[in-house]
Amino acid sequence: MTSMLARPIALRPATGEPVITMADVGMTYPNGKVALVDVTVTILAGDFVFLVGQSGAGKSTFIRLLIREQLATAGRVVVAGHDLARIRRSQVPGLRRRIGIVFQDFRLLPAKTVFENVAFALEVTGGTRQEIRRRVPQLLNLVGLHEHDDHLPTQLSGGELQRVAIARALVHDPAMLIADEPTGNLDPVTSWEIIQLLIQINAMGTTVLMATHNQEIVNAMRRRVVALEQGRLVRDEFGAAYEREY
Amino acid sequence: MRFVRFVAFSMVRAWQGFWRNAMMSLAATATVVLMLVLLSGLFIVLGGLNSGLEFIESKVGVTARLREQLPDAEREALTAEVLTLEGVSGADYVSPEVAMDRLRQAYRDQGQVLDLGGAEITLYASLEISLSDPSFAEGVSSALTGRPEVERITTRQVDYNKLLGIIGVIRTAGIAALGLVGLTVLFMIVNMIRIAVYSRSTEIEIMRLVGASDSFIRWPFIFEGILCGLLGAVITILMVAVAWDPIQPIMVRVFQMPTAVSSQFLGVLSAIILGVGLGVGAIGSWISVRSNLSASG
Repeated sequence: MTSMLARPIALRPATGEPVITMADVGMTYPNGKVALVDVTVTILAGDFVFLVGQSGAGKSTFIRLLIREQLATAGRVVVAGHDLARIRRSQVPGLRRRIGIVFQDFRLLPAKTVFENVAFALEVTGGTRQEIRRRVPQLLNLVGLHEHDDHLPTQLSGGELQRVAIARALVHDPAMLIADEPTGNLDPVTSWEIIQLLIQINAMGTTVLMATHNQEIVNAMRRRVVALEQGRLVRDEFGAAYEREY
Repeated sequence: MRFVRFVAFSMVRAWQGFWRNAMMSLAATATVVLMLVLLSGLFIVLGGLNSGLEFIESKVGVTARLREQLPDAEREALTAEVLTLEGVSGADYVSPEVAMDRLRQAYRDQGQVLDLGGAEITLYASLEISLSDPSFAEGVSSALTGRPEVERITTRQVDYNKLLGIIGVIRTAGIAALGLVGLTVLFMIVNMIRIAVYSRSTEIEIMRLVGASDSFIRWPFIFEGILCGLLGAVITILMVAVAWDPIQPIMVRVFQMPTAVSSQFLGVLSAIILGVGLGVGAIGSWISVRSNLSASG
């Protein structure tokens, strides 16, 4: 499967500015459940990072903190230069436009076409018609769906649905793309196609953080791996595999 | 330009949302119509009764029936004395001949002819006392009671007080009913918007994730509530406009007095209906949006 990769595997860390800084971050939910403990990690612009760990290890909480769906109960989270505990509520939408996000279940609107699903992200943030007409075809072209722009989600395969979700996530040209189990619902071949697309996007300068359980992909890619276990960061390695190798 | 796009976006989404849950939206609109019809009815009845009150107010006075064959000198002395009483703005002598002329005229006004069958009838002479305010009627009446020149005193104060009482009851009952219906309308609109928010939860979540501002998320729902109020108001205005002319004679028959209100009142009432409809729609949807969309940041 590794032969399907679009470009050589990068083993060295990125050298850009920090896009994400987590310092001693802890997260305890109101019901007392501890989700993250003393997590300290920095992700630089241009990085491609796999976030791995068992279910319940804290990956989802990690992502929720980054998009400020929740606030850390301890420590500091800085995303794209914004301390998330200090920004005003009115600044949150602006922050989210700098972070694209895709999910395992795609989260597309079933009554809208491929074009409309991607355009929706521009429309609801005040984008003009000209902007929509210019930007959406570009993105559909990038993800290889320009010929399916009038299809409804029900007419697409899982891989195609995820491509639409990725195109939508890129609509504001974000500094970072967060992918939460993007291959979780896909067969192996389609999964690799999505990974190829993410690599392509990363190569264009977008930082990619991908939460995954897919050992095969992580082992083949040999990128930076951040591993969580019971809410603690247990490993942060460049060019690493899914499991500890020493 | 951005603001225009925002308003256009919100209105289009509100329109789509309204028809997406058509049953619920139309049910909420029906309650708005019910409330506004009740409000209009109350305004029309109170407006009519106030006209009637003004009419009676202008007629409230004291009529003193004079003793037969009262000498002119005594009558003039009485008139002069009456004019000095507090609240009296005028005192007119009505001779038996004038009284008979009025009676004949009253018959003619009803399309009849006064037929006395050849009998000779003499009506009483009276002194019609007009007042600057109906509240002086009692004082004037008691000042004249027992006077040798006066045989009987009549006043329309009772009618006036009765009408004031009716207006008070209608106003209180109407406001109470309106309050209850208003609460029902708010409840319906709050629920309509709650269901709309629930049915569009995926869409709202996507909007949040792609960086839509609170305004873009909330205002379509508020416009949806306003649309419900607007539609209800337009329907009610049409109903009132159609019913306006037939209502006037019915009110005159029911209340037995000139209760006609000017057609300008229809314009004012339409503005009130529109304002209340839009207001209730906006308040209901705002309450719902505040309670259903604020928590999830």
